Parts: sequence; structure tokens; C-alpha cells
Amino acid sequence: MIRTSREDIELLIRRAGLSLPPAQIDEIHAGWALVEPMLNRIRSEGRGHASEPAHVFRAEAAGRVVKDSEAL
Amino acid sequence: MQTPTIAEAAALIAARKLSPVELVEHCLSRIEALDGALHSFITVTAERARSDARAAERRMMAGILHGKLDGIPIAHKDIYCTRGIATTAHSKILKGWVSTEDAHAVKLLADAGTSMLGKLATHEFALGGPPFDLPWPPARNPWNTEHYAAGSSSGTAVAIAGGLILGGTGSDTAGSIRSPAAFCGIAGIKPTYGRCSKRGIVPLAFSLDHAGPMARTVEDCALLLQAMAGHDAADPTSVDRPVPDFSAGLGRDVKGLRIGVVSHWHETDHTVSRAVCEGINRALALWRDQGAEIIEITMPSLFEYQAANVVIMMSEAFAVHEARLRTRAEDYGKLLRQRLVLGALMRSADYVHALRRRAELCAITARGAAKVDVLVTAGAPAEAPRIDSVPAWGDLAKPGFNHPFNITGWPAMSVCAGVGEGGMPVAVQIAAKPFQEATLFQVADAFEQASGFRSQRPPLTA
Repeated sequence: MIRTSREDIELLIRRAGLSLPPAQIDEIHAGWALVEPMLNRIRSEGRGHASEPAHVFRAEAAGRVVKDSEAL
Repeated sequence: MQTPTIAEAAALIAARKLSPVELVEHCLSRIEALDGALHSFITVTAERARSDARAAERRMMAGILHGKLDGIPIAHKDIYCTRGIATTAHSKILKGWVSTEDAHAVKLLADAGTSMLGKLATHEFALGGPPFDLPWPPARNPWNTEHYAAGSSSGTAVAIAGGLILGGTGSDTAGSIRSPAAFCGIAGIKPTYGRCSKRGIVPLAFSLDHAGPMARTVEDCALLLQAMAGHDAADPTSVDRPVPDFSAGLGRDVKGLRIGVVSHWHETDHTVSRAVCEGINRALALWRDQGAEIIEITMPSLFEYQAANVVIMMSEAFAVHEARLRTRAEDYGKLLRQRLVLGALMRSADYVHALRRRAELCAITARGAAKVDVLVTAGAPAEAPRIDSVPAWGDLAKPGFNHPFNITGWPAMSVCAGVGEGGMPVAVQIAAKPFQEATLFQVADAFEQASGFRSQRPPLTA
């Protein structure tokens, strides 16, 4: 697995439309090192093409009328 | 007067031996005396509580009490919206915002007759904490105010453990009800996903967020959940199925039940302290003595559940906050800002992979637990650490014992299992199959009653 570089992290943060000082990018780079192994765990090469995610689109719920007041 | 449990207070109110007004004044006096050090409240609604209590007292005198929660002083985690009362999410971002509607759970608990004492501290938006750079300080553990109360429902756990309220609300996306309950020596349940409406609760991660109650005892949690549970057509994740009597199994032994213990979780995946291990073993011995069958089972490693939980949570949380992060990044506390940015670094495929892994983990967990009624594991790995020693990246370095039940949506609760070598509480966690909260309460109550830990209280002087 290729470890994401600090420069890559900075680029991804900028691409997300965020502007952070260099010191914070350093800290996020350190935190990302804890997340990268998790990403490897969830990527399964043996998973079938049709393996559905845990929650999927349900058409019967799509017609539900939502009051304006329900939107936070 | 020592702050009673909800069940104790309900019995006294029903017998007209305790005035709801006096009970609220007792809580307000403890808030006044203790919360300067505990920081559990963001907003105290003293006049609202007094008004609620006077109404409850009138019902008491007229013999028309609404039930066991009538006249019980509670408070809400400050991500539960309250009509006409500020909801801050413990963040400068929402400071001064007042909702025009109550969260569904807030309304249900008000309808049950509770007296609302205010809004409680949390991690910022239920994720960033313990926060030291926000308008309000983090809540402090009443067993030792130099120690962490965990999060994110920290204010609720602290206020209950300190006897400032009798019960309250929390939310749980990766352990935010169960971890503070464990560190503060109280009980807290994350019900089945969909059992309680999330409408009107500021979201952290939609598909993992659970609303639930916290209280001093298992019995009190059952009483609170009875009021909070039920279908809400306006919440698309709310499940339309009957709500059973959650107290039905309380006071009964566990003879004939099958209790699964996943030892590799606390012995290998994340090694727990000696006190936590002794707590688990003590619980297993008590249940065995009552006639339960203890069955060792194997599950996926905690790292598997953690990975899916973290990727889903961070992805969904970033989506919630993306627009404000772009325009008001400096108004977020440092911890939350950094954690949210992790979500910005994830790819859309990562999120879908995590959801597919979640489906796989649900299936594997159900198969692994097919021959048991409940599962037992640790509530937290050890006693609460000092609040100034909590790492910036929280629990990312080690997998938590809570993640399996946020990923699967199974109901799970933390129950006090004693006090460790440092004088702080430790806890066991019990989980049941979806919508089997009544069985969960029965097993947890059997341990709590037999162990005697429910009577332990932190050394506070009001």
C-alpha cells in the first residue's frame, strides 16, 4: 500500500474547497495514517459485483411527502 | 436528600410522598452547587422545569399522573432540538440558534410528564471532543473532575452520575451513549436502529446515529425508552412495529437464556484492563449461577467493524458540514474541524465499499450469534483517563467495543461493573438481537441487581 504523502493530502484538502494552515495539514496527515489501514480493510477484491451496500434506494420511500418543518 | 432513581421517585410521587416541585428544586440546588466544576449543562431552564413540575404536581394531587415519568426531572443532550430554547450542538456554529420545533423524542418525554431542566454538554456536533476551544468547556467526570467523561453524550452521563438529573437523552453513532455511561458509572442504552425517531436531532452520520436514554439504572433506562420508542412516519429510518413492555423482564433471573461472550474482542483485538476483565467474568459467573448458558463465540475482529464505522461516519459527517467548513472553518473547534476533514479525503468508492462491508458484517454477526440470546463484551477498555491525556485522534488508534452494534444496529447497553484500581468506574456491555431490548434489559438488570454496583455514587458534596 502506498502511503498518502503530505503533498497529496494538501491537494485533496484544496480540491475539497477547504483552506487550512500548514500546521493543521501536518496534523491531518498524521491522522490520515490511522485511517488508511481502515480503507484497505473495507476494499475487498473477493467481493461479488452484485454485492449490495447496507442501505439501498427504496422506491416506496421516494414518494414520501416531507413537511418543510421536518427539515432541520 | 440523595437524588433518587427514576423508579424510586415515581413510586414516591405516585404515593404522594414526594413533590415533583421539591424534586426539581433539589436538582436545581445540585446544579447550582456542583455544575461549576462538572460543566454538564450548557443551558439550565429553571423556570421551564418549575412550570413542568407544578403541572405534574397538580396531576399528582388530582390522581391523574401520566405514568412513571410524570414529574421526573430530565435534560437533553444539546443536539436535541427544543422549541423556543437554544440548541447549540456545543458549537459556536449554532450559538444563538433556536429551533421552532421539539425533536420527536423531546416531545414524547414532555408528553410523559417529565420536568425539563435544560440542555447538556456534548462533543461539538457529537464528534469533536473533549473541546477546550469552544464557548463552553467539556463536561468533567464526577468521580474525579480531572478525568474524562468520554463522549459525545458526556453532559448527560455527568449530570446523571452527579445526581443533577434523574435521566436524560443521548445519541450514539460510534458509542456516544455507552462510552460516557461506562466512564461515569451509569447505565445507557443504544436501542435498535429505527426504534427511536431521530427527527429533530442534529445529525452526525445519518445511517449510524441512534437516539436513546441514559439513567442511573437499567430499570430507569427501560422506563425512559418506553416513552421514547415508537414509529414516527416523519423519520424515514423509523421502524413501524409494536413497542413491547421493556420492563417485563426486570427482576427476573436469566435461567435458560444463552449468553455469548466474544472473548477475543477484549483479550486480543483490544486488551482491556484487569478491572474490566474481572467485571466481565463477574457478570458471566452471576448469570451462570442463575441458570444461563454461557457460550464462547467468535466474531470478526473489532478492527473490521471499526473500519466500516469510521469510513461511513466520517463520509456522512463531512457531507453534513461541507458547506459550513468552506465558509466558517475557523468557527469550528480544532478537534472537530480536523476530524471532519478526514471525511473530505475519502473517495465516493470508499464510502460504498464501507456500506458493502457493513452488509457483510451484519450477515456474519447474525450467523455468529445464531445460538445465543445476547452478547457480552467490554463497555470501555479501562477506567476513564485524565481529560488532558485524551489523544487528538480519539479512538482511531484502537478499535472500540461499541462499533459492532452501530454497524449492525443491534441494541446494546453499558452497565456499571465495579470500580477499578484508579477509583473510577468500569463497565460491561450487553447487546441483543434487533428489537430484543426487553431481553437486553432483563439480562442487564439481573447483573445490576445481583452485583450491587447500582448503589455506588461518585464522591460529591453539594
